[in-house]
Amino acid sequence: MLTVTALSKRYTPDKPSLQDVSLVADAGTITAVIGPSGAGKTTLLRSLNQLLKDDEGTVQLDDVDLRQLSKRELQKARRDIGMIFQNYNLIDALTVLENVLHGCLGAKSTIAGMLAHYTAEEKQAAMALISEMGLSDFAYTACKHLSGGQKQRVGIARALMQHPKMLLCDEPIASLDPKSAKLVMDILRRLADEKDLIVVVNLHQVDIATDYADHIVALNHGRKVFDGTPAELNDAQIQAIYA
Amino acid sequence: MTPVTFFRRKQQVMLFTLIALLVSYVVASIALGFQQGALLQVQTGFLWMAQNFLPTATSLKLLPAVLFQLWRTFIIATAAAGVAGVISLLLAVIGAKNLGQRHVSISFFIRGFASVLRNIPIIAWALILLFSFKQNELTGFLALWLMNLGFLTRAFLETIEDFDTGKLEALIATGTSRPVAIMQGLLPEIATPVVEWLLYMIENNVRDATLVGLLTGTGIGFLFDLYFKSINYPAAGLVVVVLIVLVISLELLSTHIQRSLT
Repeated sequence: MLTVTALSKRYTPDKPSLQDVSLVADAGTITAVIGPSGAGKTTLLRSLNQLLKDDEGTVQLDDVDLRQLSKRELQKARRDIGMIFQNYNLIDALTVLENVLHGCLGAKSTIAGMLAHYTAEEKQAAMALISEMGLSDFAYTACKHLSGGQKQRVGIARALMQHPKMLLCDEPIASLDPKSAKLVMDILRRLADEKDLIVVVNLHQVDIATDYADHIVALNHGRKVFDGTPAELNDAQIQAIYA
Repeated sequence: MTPVTFFRRKQQVMLFTLIALLVSYVVASIALGFQQGALLQVQTGFLWMAQNFLPTATSLKLLPAVLFQLWRTFIIATAAAGVAGVISLLLAVIGAKNLGQRHVSISFFIRGFASVLRNIPIIAWALILLFSFKQNELTGFLALWLMNLGFLTRAFLETIEDFDTGKLEALIATGTSRPVAIMQGLLPEIATPVVEWLLYMIENNVRDATLVGLLTGTGIGFLFDLYFKSINYPAAGLVVVVLIVLVISLELLSTHIQRSLT
């Protein structure tokens, strides 16, 4: 379970990016974070794996407060948190297989990681994930030759290679066409259900959030303005969130 | 500003630049006493060159010796670029501002060091090194190496600073360390420009090595100097021809490699 309590972050003294945000996300559920551009969605998501250091609050993943960990402990804790990005952030020059295998770099020694020394089991696991994502024909294709939807599926496979407890998705479908977007959201739904993952996903399409999420959190100017189920979110509230 | 005044201003700037270039040519030619008439006789000069420098059957007997020195020049040029390339890449990774170098002074020092090395002309390097290392191939190698170190460090710094660090962040988010993320994320992405710069450097080194060889008394440059000073112009011409062939072959090879990389 992910428990965020009173998280705050300021980039500049007069303009807080996150103000006193709290939320709870359970395993096996999708939590959608919605809100207008600049509301603090990305800041919140990047705080959840401490890519961004926040100023106050707690981020607890299964009783461990990530904000209290040392650099080394945090590095270890991040293995439990997969992340996918709007612009995929794959290594385009490398093949799909190599990018997926990057997901197990965190569990390796520095030397083994630098030499890209992967075990036979890891390679098999990566191939299984590639096949699960429907990309078997592209295992040896450099990622620069893939479409956006295919790249995002590689991103998901890379995150799954970590065997994470939680999956953070920063606008995963913002750069995709509707068909690819649906495919990616279907995969996220399936992962939450079948692998019992905590999925936190930033979205700017409210209809997709209501279709797929179990739980919606809305931010505006860094503050939480809604926290509830899709059924509880009505038109007036949507108007207020995007005001 | 209206579109009319905008384009008029652009045209005025272009006209002014052309006039400034023309004026600088006239001023320079007057100051140096450069005779404009000599330009009209340029074909006579080329004719003389063609008659005297064309390799003859006798000069072709020297081909094995020329090729041997060309080979030595080529391997020194390649070795200098290769060794400098590895160290430059390391310096660039340490100095790049976008890879998390928190000490501005380190970044500034590496940049400054590279600029100093790069901006001292290769001939000056060769002359300075001649005092310490005398006339031998090591001197030539060191002169090329120092210049390459400066040039490649700057080139690699710029290449790395164009790199989208979101990709590194994605690897760091998997729980890996920064050095591993750099090795597995940055290096594959910059491999193509790095190889391109190295190939360019080797090409450039072959040309520079000829000049350096004149001073250090080694390689193909020494042979050219020897033949030229002993008035064996066809042999000197042969040296120039094989050099041109080598440089063009290297250019073709590097184009081929670049195509296969992208």
